Amino acid sequence: MADEPVLEVGQFYELVTFQLEAALGRRHPRWVRGEVAKVYEKTHLYLDLVDAGSTSNDAKRPVLNAHCWASQWNPLKRKLADDGVTLKPGVIISCFGYVDLYAPQGRIGFTVTAIDVEGLLGDVARRRQELIARLRDDGLLEANKNRPLSPVPLRVGLVASPGTEGYSDFTGQLLKSGFGFEILLAATAVQGEAAPAQIVSALEALDQNGVDLICVVRGGGSKGDLACFDDERVARAIAASSTPVFTGIGHTGDESIADLVAHTKSITPTKLGEDIVNLVAQWHERNVRVPAQRILGATEAILDEATEYVGERRRTMIFAVRDRLKLEERHLRATRERLVLQSDHLLSAAGQMLTSVRQLLGAYDPVKRLAQGWAIVTVADGRVVRRLEDVALGDVVRVRLSDGTFASTVEQKDGERS
Amino acid sequence: MTIGDWNEAATELNEIVSSFDEGEVSVDDLFVKLERATQIIESLEARLDATKAKVEELAPRIARAAESE
Repeated sequence: MADEPVLEVGQFYELVTFQLEAALGRRHPRWVRGEVAKVYEKTHLYLDLVDAGSTSNDAKRPVLNAHCWASQWNPLKRKLADDGVTLKPGVIISCFGYVDLYAPQGRIGFTVTAIDVEGLLGDVARRRQELIARLRDDGLLEANKNRPLSPVPLRVGLVASPGTEGYSDFTGQLLKSGFGFEILLAATAVQGEAAPAQIVSALEALDQNGVDLICVVRGGGSKGDLACFDDERVARAIAASSTPVFTGIGHTGDESIADLVAHTKSITPTKLGEDIVNLVAQWHERNVRVPAQRILGATEAILDEATEYVGERRRTMIFAVRDRLKLEERHLRATRERLVLQSDHLLSAAGQMLTSVRQLLGAYDPVKRLAQGWAIVTVADGRVVRRLEDVALGDVVRVRLSDGTFASTVEQKDGERS
Repeated sequence: MTIGDWNEAATELNEIVSSFDEGEVSVDDLFVKLERATQIIESLEARLDATKAKVEELAPRIARAAESE
């Protein structure tokens, strides 16, 4: 020990610093991989990295206090946000940097100059696939797709952030459609750490509200902005909803986990609004417009047919009555003519009969008989003497001849033998 | 004598017309049947006019549904 120089503390740290810098210093940076145990950001980024898979119960677990100064952190932070990566406990990252020693606290640190973003993204993708696999194994990818959808979804539950472009784009489509949409808004943050829990609460509340469907709406943004829609809690809430959940999340890259588990996804809020309006429009077409056209057509046909029927019956009645009356007139005329003919015939016959009678009667004319030599004998009182008993002997009778009369006395009666 | 609904009235009217076609109507019955047929026709026309008026009132409302998109 006497041969070795004794170093002051400061000298010792200078030696350590020299040795460390010679091996792992700024000119000899190294990649270090570790799991984020703690993360803290205040202008600069501070991380506690541990071996992946180690537990905090292990008192001897090595911890690397890493930090990334703002000049490096800010561009890194933007890139990570764009890719939807959040540095949080549990994330495994590879950092490029070098050792530094902070003598006042006797602490070795690690200055990060770069982060393996590609590796991180690979890790994010891996975890995303793992989440999808879990959801599939639990039967949740299809759960909400099997929810029956109202044929005319007019009561729309909306999970969105009012005032955002996505909100306006979506509601604008519904309002300008002319259909009577009723929008029940459950306002939530649609990005950031608080968003997943708020979205889950909104989904549950709207599901209890008896809406026809629930729309989750968010305009475009970076992967980081949209990370809440890849959250497992959100995915499970959508799957558990008894109400069909539609998504209109304006992403540009991979579809979100929310899209995967949703009943129906549209690529933007505007497109989602259009799709819902189309659903109602199709129902309206089938159940209102087409039946209305059929009713109008059928009504017109029925009225035309009824009008034609009544007119035809009216014409038929007029002609039928006219024909019937003409028939009766013809019959009467024929009867009358027949009667006239018969009358003439009867009159003629009667005339002939009268002539015969007259001729017959002429044969009995007393004048003609007197001229033939017959005489008419009457007694004093004018009675015609027809039989002998009508006179007595001595009676004076008057005898009429064709040219005059003379008196005669009955002197003898001689009866004729029969 | 009351007049039945449209189908009943039409049936009765058709029977009257058929009786004319078949020459079953006597002159004594002719007036009675003609009078009845006239009553029925006027009743049908009145119902038709009333229905048309209602249809004209309702048709534009149905047309709005039929023409909307």
